[in-house]
This record gives sequence, C-alpha cells and structure tokens, in this order.
Amino acid sequence: MIVRIQGEGQWELDQTQVAQLDKIDNEMVEVVDANNTARFAALLAEMLDFVRKNGRKLAPDEIAASELILPPADATLEEVRELFQDEGLISV
Amino acid sequence: MGLLSRISLIFKAKVNKVLDKAENPNETLDYSYERQLEQLQNFKRAIVEITTSKKRLELQSAQLKADIDRMETQARQALAAGREDLARVVLTRKATAQQQLDDLNTQINTLNDQQQKLADAEARLSAKIEAFRTQKEVIKAQYSAAQAQVRISEAVTGISEEMTDIGTAIERARNKTAAMQARAGAIDELVNTGVLADVTQVGGGNDVDRELARISASASVDEELARMKAELGAPQQHQTLPPPGPSSSQS
Repeated sequence: MIVRIQGEGQWELDQTQVAQLDKIDNEMVEVVDANNTARFAALLAEMLDFVRKNGRKLAPDEIAASELILPPADATLEEVRELFQDEGLISV
Repeated sequence: MGLLSRISLIFKAKVNKVLDKAENPNETLDYSYERQLEQLQNFKRAIVEITTSKKRLELQSAQLKADIDRMETQARQALAAGREDLARVVLTRKATAQQQLDDLNTQINTLNDQQQKLADAEARLSAKIEAFRTQKEVIKAQYSAAQAQVRISEAVTGISEEMTDIGTAIERARNKTAAMQARAGAIDELVNTGVLADVTQVGGGNDVDRELARISASASVDEELARMKAELGAPQQHQTLPPPGPSSSQS
C-alpha cells in the first residue's frame, strides 16, 4: 500500500506494516477524543517515524496515487479535531 | 472512522477538485503537461514569497537582538553611575525583549524547516512532471485508447496528489508566516510606544534615556569643572602631584 506523509512524500508499506499503522491510528482516535495534546504529538511522531523507517520511499520521479494520507509532522491536535468535528464524531 | 481514513478522504476530495479542473486528459496530454509546468512556476513563486517573509522576520529578530545588546550596555552605564534602580528598570525591559526574541527565533526555526520541506516537495514535483513528459510520449506511441486511459488517469492522479500536497504545505506555511508577522508587528508596536523599551536611542526621549543622559551630562560637567580648576590653580595642583617642580627647577 502506498501512503503519503503530507509535505514529505510517499512510502510503500506491506500488509503487516499497514496493520501496525492501523493500531496506532486507533489509539490516535482515542487520544484526539480525550484531547490529550502531549500524547497526540508523541503518537504522531511515532506513526510517521514508523513509516519513514519501515516503508520503501518512492523515488521522486515515481508517479503513484496514495491509498492513505498521513498528517504533516507539525499537525496539531486542534487541526485534527476540526476534521472530526465536521463529521460530528466528536461532540463539543 | 479512523483518523487516517478521515484525513485521506478530505485530502482526496481536494485532489479530485484539482482533477475536475483538468480537461479530459486523454485528449489533452500535452495540455495537461503545460498546466503542470505552469502550476510548478506558481509554486516556485509562492515559495520565494515565503522565503522573503521569513527574511523580514529575521531582520526583525536581528534588530531586537541589537536593542537587547544596547540595553545591556545601558544597564552597565547606569550601574557604573551608582544607579541600581535605573539598571533594574533597563534589565526588566531587557528580559521582556529577550523573551520576545526567543519566541521569534523559535518560530523562524520552524519556518526554516518548512522552507526546506517545500524546496524538497518542489524538487519531487519537478521530477514527477519530467517523468510525466516521458510517460505521455510512451502512452501516445504504445497504448490502445482503453489502456491509455487507465495509464493517463493514474499518472494525472499521481501528479495532482503531489500538487495538492505542495499546495496544502504552502498554504500552511503562509498561514504560519502571517501569524508570525502579526506577532512581530505587535513587538514593533510595543517598541514604538516605548512599552518594551526603546531605551537605547539617543534623544529617544523616554525616562531611562533622559536619566542616563542627565547622569552622563552631569559627569562631563564635573570633569570639565575639574579640568578648569586644575588650569586655574595649576601651582596648587602640581604640589599635590609627584615632584615635577623641584626637579625641573634644578635642571
């Protein structure tokens, strides 16, 4: 699966790695729900590092569409919360 | 829904908007390529713009640093003149300015990172557009209409995704720069109104300035008085000094 880290580029992950990513993603939802800023930053860094370290980085001239888009490294919990509020998943 | 799925959906909606604007790519491979080049130029301009804004912030930071250095000198002057109270006022202002400076510098560092990432993103987009140029010739030459459609669609989507990404990154950098400039502007405002301490400019006219000027003026008056006294009462003065008188009269 090809994933993109916004602002950084694309990586290819295998199924096991995607499953790993999925785990972090689930915890991320809880963290955003609990408004835990510190944990959010740590988890985001962990998630992006996981992709950077384990994935195969696509060459600059490889043209491919990504299946999954990851937030940029400097994304804040507030920014992400706004995405969810649009959907009404978090009631405020 | 997971966080990533949500983010992906929103991002892909943006990509689709970019795609919708494109003409039917099968008919217009060359046109699509031309548009990509145009878009690349737009991005380049936007990145230069952000770099310029950053440089302005850096100038402001240098100015603030110079102000802080001058405050340091002033505090020493005040202390040398035995005016601890005045030194304390200057140092308090210096601390406030230092805090602002640290804040400004942290933000400039963030912007530096972002600038580097934008430069990398621009390089990626350039490489992809170049690859697209080659691919479109291959597609035109080798594939049937149906096959070509799939290939073209893949290539155009891939490029549009890259463009959406760099566009979003530029937007974020712009917002960040604007916020920083607003804050830097607020610092200027504080300096201008004397709240933050433009204690440094000659004739700047705030309280500390006047006080230091008064101290320095009175010191120079004292010196001049001493010099004049010395001239008038030269013999007396010489008697108190090591013995030039007798030795000179002997020779």
